[in-house]
Amino acid sequence: MGPTRGVSVLLIFPALAMALALFIYPLGYSLVGAFQDKAGVWTLGNFVRAWELYRLDTLFTVFIVGLSTFLIAVISVSIGGYLTLGNSPVAKKILDWLYRWPLFVPFIVAALCMRTFLGRNGMMNNAFVFLGFMDQESAQSFLDWRGIVITFVWKQTPFVTLMVAGAMAGLDRSTIDAARNLGASRLRVLLEIVVPQIRRTLAVGLILSFVTMMSVLSVPIMLSGQSPSMLTVNMAWRINSVGDYGTANALGFVSYLLTGLAAWFYLREAVRDKQQGLTR
Amino acid sequence: MSARLEIDRVEAAYGGTRVLKGVSLDVAPGEFVALLGSSGCGKTTLLRCISGFVPVASGAIRVNGTDITHAPPDKREMAMVFQSYALWPHMSVAQNIGYGLRLRKKSCAQIAARVAEMVAMLKLDGLAERNVTQLSGGQRQRVALGRALAVDPQILLLDEPLSNLDARIREDVRHEIKALQRRLGITTIHVTHDREEAMVMADRIVILDAGTIAQVGRPEEVYNRPASAFVASFMGANNAIRLDLARAGTKLRVASGPHNRAAELPHDGDVDGKVTAHFRSEAAKLSLPGDADPQGALALEGRIVQAAYPGGFWRYAVAVGDRQFMVDDERRVEVGVNARVVLPAEALHFFPAEGA
Repeated sequence: MGPTRGVSVLLIFPALAMALALFIYPLGYSLVGAFQDKAGVWTLGNFVRAWELYRLDTLFTVFIVGLSTFLIAVISVSIGGYLTLGNSPVAKKILDWLYRWPLFVPFIVAALCMRTFLGRNGMMNNAFVFLGFMDQESAQSFLDWRGIVITFVWKQTPFVTLMVAGAMAGLDRSTIDAARNLGASRLRVLLEIVVPQIRRTLAVGLILSFVTMMSVLSVPIMLSGQSPSMLTVNMAWRINSVGDYGTANALGFVSYLLTGLAAWFYLREAVRDKQQGLTR
Repeated sequence: MSARLEIDRVEAAYGGTRVLKGVSLDVAPGEFVALLGSSGCGKTTLLRCISGFVPVASGAIRVNGTDITHAPPDKREMAMVFQSYALWPHMSVAQNIGYGLRLRKKSCAQIAARVAEMVAMLKLDGLAERNVTQLSGGQRQRVALGRALAVDPQILLLDEPLSNLDARIREDVRHEIKALQRRLGITTIHVTHDREEAMVMADRIVILDAGTIAQVGRPEEVYNRPASAFVASFMGANNAIRLDLARAGTKLRVASGPHNRAAELPHDGDVDGKVTAHFRSEAAKLSLPGDADPQGALALEGRIVQAAYPGGFWRYAVAVGDRQFMVDDERRVEVGVNARVVLPAEALHFFPAEGA
């Protein structure tokens, strides 16, 4: 005989209480706060202020995170593709061992590394000058939007690659052999046979990365002090320097809408796949 | 256009394990050859060497005289049908069949016409736009075959393509593939572990054992004249008894043993001394008390220990000493009755006894 209803509720209560206290309540509080002024009166004023002050930053955030997501997709599919279809066992082993390393580096440390790497007198420019690719005068700093994109891509690519390479390894190998056998090059096999079969895994990885990058504060703060900046920096500024929780909540609501949009795209695709009877 | 395939002393290895040990085979244009053997004998490895998925360690593979030993799989002009069908789940039936043509840069009209031709030929009418995940096993197998044939390959490779189908459909598809192959005249290599499948479909059967060819021949040759005890066992003659023979002109004298009387068998082959004789259950006859003594045949004294009715006849397990042989007979006999297993000379395949 199974446990009674009361025992069931008792068993899930600790987990439910944690979720309510640590996730649902703060999220709800923040969402409600976006629509209230300091006196607790319902208003859209926070959104008006957010739009007036930060619409460029919103676009900047979307551009940076979108571009990073695109680059992560390209690189992770390339790495996963080589691990699946590559010829050289030695190269595959080295790549398989190397690509995971950034996974274990925190964002703040990654940002710190990139500051010393991408600055005007950073390691990257010094290496180019040393190799004779350019002279010292033409060296420029990458500590702007480019630095943020490079850091995001460097940090998040391993995560997506881990998922993508795992999914590729789980494919029925004969579907790859069948395409090769009919005359498809490796690149065509990757793009036309492998990626379509793992696209849902890729989408999940990219959406999780998108959400993660939307919420990172340390990287934009450390790599790009100038305007425009990312929404996380704006939120931190409104709270820490101005004490304006209302506008910060409104910006948070915008961030939530953006990530929600990405999740909606994914869910729509997943439902469509299910209706077509695809299992992968 | 069908092609001649030459396999010349091919060796292949996985890691340090040699899987193929110098296999040579010549396949004529339009011929249907079955590679038959038990698991691990190297038949699939040989097929994958031919298709380019397993590197050849030494030896050569030639198609119409051109060396393709080290050519990549996509440059071999062969098409393979896989055991798991290997259909692409994100494509429709038509897209699966037309993919090879798309790779060959055919126009949309040409692709559509060829796909329609394949769909009609393989009885897939009305399914062209359906996703392959919505098809039955037999239909999937037809799509896989259509995908391979659509590109008009020089050589068709079949890697146990029927093993995932249920028995009834398997028999139908078996005959369909054979008829199609004969009609198209395409050189075909078929890997299977199913003896009957190889017998029914192939022009020639290649029996592999531990990475070497044990025998090559037409189905009736390998069935009736197995070259070794291994081939005899593999082809169904897996009952074996040790005998002491002495040649006397065109006859063989069998010395009496613990379970047989002395006998004379008409036989003009080159057999003498201690041998192992293999025979099939269906080639043996049952002799019961009261039956006339069998002439010109070997009779083993035994006792019926089991009876079953598979349909049309009775199948008995007859204990002879510590061995049991299966014998078919139309009569109903009770378990426990003494009986003799009668083996006419033509039922026996003789091989030198191991350790003799």
